[in-house]
Amino acid sequence: MKGLLRLFLPVLAGILLVHTALASPPIRISGTIRDVTSHQPLAGASVKAKGSTRGTSTDAEGKFTLELNNEKAIIVSAIGYETLEIPLTGRNDFSIDLKAVANDLNEVVVVGYGTQKKGEVTSAIASVKAENFVKGAVRDAAQLIQGKVAGLTVSTSSGDPTAGTQIQLRGITTLQASTQPLVLIDGIPGNLNSVAPEDIEQIDVLKDGSAAAIYGTRGTNGVILITTKKVHGEGRSTVSYDGYASVQTIARKPQFLDAADYRKYKAQGYGFQDFGTSTDWFKAVTRTPWSSTHNLSLQGGNRQTSYTASINWRDWDGLFLKSDNRQLTGRVDITHNMMDGKVKFNVGAITRTRTYWEGADGGSFNGYVYRQAVIRNPTDSIKDYLGNWKEQNVYFYDNPVAYIMETLGQTREKENRIYGSVTVTPIDGLHLKLLMSNVRSDNQRGYSETKKHVSTVKNGRNGYASLGEGNGTENLLELTGDYTKSFGAHKFTLLGGYSYQDGKSEDFYMQNWDFPTDQYSYNRMQSGNALGRGEAVMNSSASSYKLIGFFGRLEYSWNDKYILRAIVRHEGSSRFGMTHKWGTFPAVSLGWRISSEDFMKNLTFINDLKLRAGYGVTGTAPDASYISLTSLNYGARFLYNGNWIQGLSPARNPNPDLKWERKGEYNIGLDFSMFKGALSGSIDLYKRETNDMLWNFPVPVPPYLFSTITTNAGKTENKGVEILVNYTPFRSKTFEWTTGANFSTNSNKIVSLSNDVFKTTTNYVDAGATGEPIQTSTHRLYIGRPVGDFYGFKSIDITPDGKWIIEGADGKPKPISANKNEDKKILGNGLPKYYAGWNNNFRYKNFDLSVVIRGAFKFQILNFQRMFYSTTKNTQYNMLKSAFDKVYGKAVLTDDLYFVSEYIENGDYVKIDNVTFGYTIPVKNKYIRNVRVYAAGLNLATITGYKGIDPEVSRTGGSSDARLTPGNDQRDKYPTTRTFTIGANVTF
Amino acid sequence: MKNIFPKITILSAVTATILLGSGCTKLDETVYSELLADNFKPTAGDVPAIIAPVYSNMRALSAGWQGMFDVEEESADEIITPARPNGWVDGGTYQRMHRHTWTSNEGQPNGLWSRCFTGINTANRVIYQINSGEIPVTTGKENVIAELRAMRAFYYSMLLDNHGNVPIVTDYKATGLPTQSNRQQVYDFVVKELTESMPLLSEVVDKTTYGRFNKWAAKACLARTYLNAGVYTGTTQWDKCIEQCNDVIAQAAKGSYALEPRYKDIFKTTNESSKELIFSVPYDETFGTEFQIHMKTLDPLMQQVFPMQVQPWGGDCAVPQFIDTYDVDDQRLKDTWIQGPQYSASTGALVITFVKTVNGIEKSASNEGYRIGKYEIKPNAKAGLSNDYPIFRYADILMMKAESLLRTGKADDAAVLVTQVRQRNFTTAPAKATVTGAQLQGNSVYKYGHWENGALATQQNLNIPYGRFLDELGWEFAAEGRRRMDLIRFGIFATAQWFQHDPSSMDKALFPIPATEINKNPNLIQNKSY
Repeated sequence: MKGLLRLFLPVLAGILLVHTALASPPIRISGTIRDVTSHQPLAGASVKAKGSTRGTSTDAEGKFTLELNNEKAIIVSAIGYETLEIPLTGRNDFSIDLKAVANDLNEVVVVGYGTQKKGEVTSAIASVKAENFVKGAVRDAAQLIQGKVAGLTVSTSSGDPTAGTQIQLRGITTLQASTQPLVLIDGIPGNLNSVAPEDIEQIDVLKDGSAAAIYGTRGTNGVILITTKKVHGEGRSTVSYDGYASVQTIARKPQFLDAADYRKYKAQGYGFQDFGTSTDWFKAVTRTPWSSTHNLSLQGGNRQTSYTASINWRDWDGLFLKSDNRQLTGRVDITHNMMDGKVKFNVGAITRTRTYWEGADGGSFNGYVYRQAVIRNPTDSIKDYLGNWKEQNVYFYDNPVAYIMETLGQTREKENRIYGSVTVTPIDGLHLKLLMSNVRSDNQRGYSETKKHVSTVKNGRNGYASLGEGNGTENLLELTGDYTKSFGAHKFTLLGGYSYQDGKSEDFYMQNWDFPTDQYSYNRMQSGNALGRGEAVMNSSASSYKLIGFFGRLEYSWNDKYILRAIVRHEGSSRFGMTHKWGTFPAVSLGWRISSEDFMKNLTFINDLKLRAGYGVTGTAPDASYISLTSLNYGARFLYNGNWIQGLSPARNPNPDLKWERKGEYNIGLDFSMFKGALSGSIDLYKRETNDMLWNFPVPVPPYLFSTITTNAGKTENKGVEILVNYTPFRSKTFEWTTGANFSTNSNKIVSLSNDVFKTTTNYVDAGATGEPIQTSTHRLYIGRPVGDFYGFKSIDITPDGKWIIEGADGKPKPISANKNEDKKILGNGLPKYYAGWNNNFRYKNFDLSVVIRGAFKFQILNFQRMFYSTTKNTQYNMLKSAFDKVYGKAVLTDDLYFVSEYIENGDYVKIDNVTFGYTIPVKNKYIRNVRVYAAGLNLATITGYKGIDPEVSRTGGSSDARLTPGNDQRDKYPTTRTFTIGANVTF
Repeated sequence: MKNIFPKITILSAVTATILLGSGCTKLDETVYSELLADNFKPTAGDVPAIIAPVYSNMRALSAGWQGMFDVEEESADEIITPARPNGWVDGGTYQRMHRHTWTSNEGQPNGLWSRCFTGINTANRVIYQINSGEIPVTTGKENVIAELRAMRAFYYSMLLDNHGNVPIVTDYKATGLPTQSNRQQVYDFVVKELTESMPLLSEVVDKTTYGRFNKWAAKACLARTYLNAGVYTGTTQWDKCIEQCNDVIAQAAKGSYALEPRYKDIFKTTNESSKELIFSVPYDETFGTEFQIHMKTLDPLMQQVFPMQVQPWGGDCAVPQFIDTYDVDDQRLKDTWIQGPQYSASTGALVITFVKTVNGIEKSASNEGYRIGKYEIKPNAKAGLSNDYPIFRYADILMMKAESLLRTGKADDAAVLVTQVRQRNFTTAPAKATVTGAQLQGNSVYKYGHWENGALATQQNLNIPYGRFLDELGWEFAAEGRRRMDLIRFGIFATAQWFQHDPSSMDKALFPIPATEINKNPNLIQNKSY
């Protein structure tokens, strides 16, 4: 063998030498490549000699040089631009203008474990790039694409600066398991807040099962793939700064009685108490909050090594006093190529710390403060003549200003993400990759109430404090290999992989009260006396899990005309019963590029037309560990021989048969692009069926230990249509207008809540709670109907003395005091039937304007604000001005609080959500490349008939109960705000 | 190119081997903050902790939120929860309880069902664990099992009284849906279980048996079951009731039990040492915090009066007609109900004045109606009181015997016992303590009738046999969570009018089987006329 090699090498060298010698002398060409409209040089554009492997790419100034032999033409291409073929006619200096590709078929779409060109996609995948993101004071990654992706509902139902967004994709597919989509930041699981919005380059959403199945158990709620800003090819180093400042106002101030109203109605005989002063309580607990955000990012490198580093600082204040959110995020990502690109290393880290006021014991803001601000007597003063907070001895009635000012607290969250990967390309087309990551999150909470807080003033606690800590570690190891090969018209890619994930989380909480001083706050817990007396609570817990998967994907295309993809993932989770830990999740999808068929050749106005169809299965694991196990815990105490000993009880009904919730999804889609890409879009039809749905099934005691068991019972179905259309009505050098509209509809149905073992005998489950003193459920989940039905009394009239008359079960009117449960009816549904979004971008010379309009239609909201504050009966609390309007034009309401249909309102709305007006300052400067200034507004105007603060109410929520009760506009909350922003981007 | 496939195959094979071999497919999880049943090997020393849930379950059941107290009182003629300025409508549940228009979705009786069955199921589980040797009890195994059987029978006695037709389940390992028994069968079961376990139950009366089912608790439970046997089965068992009472009275003679000299002391914060208590549910403001009767009855302003560390919620109060039945010299009126002006503990200022009248069940001012003050509210009281809640007390034994005597023609013997119970309550007018057999056979002084706008609108002419004895039960046991049972036994539960309750149907003497339970178990058939 060695001998043979010895002989072979000189021969090879010889051949090469001869070959070189025989060739004609090379020509050296050079040139500059620019964007045809902006005249900006294009870095990283590819220049290839036609019919040869010879090629190069442009540098940061868009310049290239290339040596040619006797090739007749060069091919110039760049991502996002039309490819040009330029014949060589003896010239050797070129100035080439590339035209941006109007259709986006060549855009790269990120899919699980790889990328695809948009034109090759066979599943429902939405892709939004940075230039189309929502601008302004954006809370997290999801808000960047709010109103941009058909079928993905992103809602912001709280004005709390620490709040994120609520996400819902293609309806409600699970009742008990998480609805959170899988969020991957450059392939590593995280959350929507893991990376600063300003640091994101692209967001891709895998909507249907045929794409998401590669993520198996985590893919049911869709997969959001976040690609952070990275260096592409070689380029000169850039530094860019984004900064903006914002100010907020409440979206709509609720109209409660003021002091003058109180006096007016008191004079009319209402039992209001007049304390002789005048206080605007809402104003007393709020402010005009200013916030600022700064983002600095550095990019650079050479052919071997490139880096991206960024630092992001958000200093946000909230509408309520003290409410804030300060977050610092830093990111470094380094990529290094070696051995002629055969080996590529990537390492990186993201670190994030966030600090905010803890205004509630274990939360950012205590919604009870808002309630107290609106119900407080406007003739009362904030402090008494001695300077003490003024309190009254009324039921659930506390001074809201004191509540805020006498509460000290801080939450500190830290998240550190470290990752590294090595990709080996031993031969052309074969990539082997090892990815490892470690994510550690930690949050520490401290909360205290001074001795001037209600907890001491009224309840004698003598100072209160609590301390909490939660931390988690997640490790991920993934091995993947993919191989791509083309021969003739055939092209295939084969991917295989293994994924291992484990995690552990720990929680700790303690409280104490009866402190000798306020000075310690929550920093010296041992100084309180309550814990020692056994009164205060201290607890901790820890849990772990593992998730292991094997996966593979085969892609095959013939002539780019017929495309097939097949996926299988075999996955196991420790959270399941002994016999059901593993599940297999297959998917297949097909694409047909109709436009590539011969019979379409004549229809030149059609640039692309592709039909897609797919089916995929994904699974969902329960949120909690251990629920299949037979466990015991010490708990409730028992007086045994004079001592209170701890009793030992089972922890739950164990279910060793617990298995995967499985969602099968059909998706049919059509992608089109015509008139040179001026008009493009897609239409998707889907049907998702969730089987073996995780459900806390009610069971009798005995034989069961507890009244519910977590089991796989039931089935839901979601069907829908999503339409996306992008159109460029006008485009010239000076003026451009692009518009995009999206529309989606979803119909949801609970098909069953039973399985072979557990069978329901009624066709409903009640959910939701009004809270006291109404104390009733708000929703009923009917089998055969969608989630979200409001269920209560139908108010139809009012008596002359202001008491409700409802429609009884027999359809006849009856006084509400004679109500029976049977009189309740379906009063509406909290889930919108239709969502629509309309995005417009205008550019005139250096000015740009973008307008995002979005809306939700055909749904109802239960207006808690009116339900609780619309009766004139209880004059101990303030009420809405409208409480004195005659109901049905007949009488002023004097009844007790009831949940009746009068408070179910249509929630349809259209929001002019995001308007951004920008100006790019022309700079002729050696150091500064680009400067843009802009002004933006968020949640600017709402067109709605809804009488509450904001019709964009919570529709999903984290807890299972919140998911079953969409459309409850709670009375305790952080009202939403309108935000105005001015900002600047500077690139150096 | 062709030789790539073997390479990939080999690579895959090697990778797969590494993965499989190195345990990278193992889905084991570490369980941290739970005890895995497989790893927990109990010893005899763990028995108290294991039987604990059988008893601790009683706390929420008895004086907890919408517990048995509310079930038995709000449906009867002593206590109402009227709508208050700050709420207390809660969808009309309190009004339905008062008007006997409850449905199979009513929280109070449904909660009683589920808590009783939780207790029963836990007892079954522990009995199974001991019998199977899972819990190694070496000495006194039979005694522990007897105690658990008696406690289980006690849970069944509550279901017998409230829901009547319930499934009897004794086998923890049975997996099928339980089948329903009728009221007679449940009655027979309760009697059998108590009788059979009786000889093995402890006769000791001290802190080792306090709050637990000893022989005397079982006898009291059996006596109460016999007392109501006529209601449960159609056949009265007065003599059997007397027999059980006599056994307890004989034990009392040995110094185990006695009437508290002061009525108030039975219900004080530290009442666990009271000799009057035969079986009670121990509560503690720190360790067993479910005692909430004071939170539900006191107006929020009363926080300043005791004072309290929490603001009470302000709801239920006495029916004015019932208050009118008391003799002015009966100290139980004052010892049971908070009435009149209340002053701040810190400033001495007048805080609120409780008046006797109540406008109506749908409307009342916050100071209307006397409040339950029977259970001492100590200074700086919390959301849970430490007072133990009496289930069976010695006065009850005497009164059960008295009633049985009265109903078997021995009215004068009965009067001696009733007088004995009354004596401690008339210290200012001792002569009034004495009642005669003739008096006990007389009618009730309760002015039954319909109440409107704060006054009696129409009065009913009811001739209640032994009505005076019913009054005696009312005065002695007001606000002890049992009035419904007495009204049923005296035959007026469905016929009498009080406050805004109008005559209903005798079918209401049983609560409906909870709708949720029928949904879960199709073997259950709803009680009559629900």
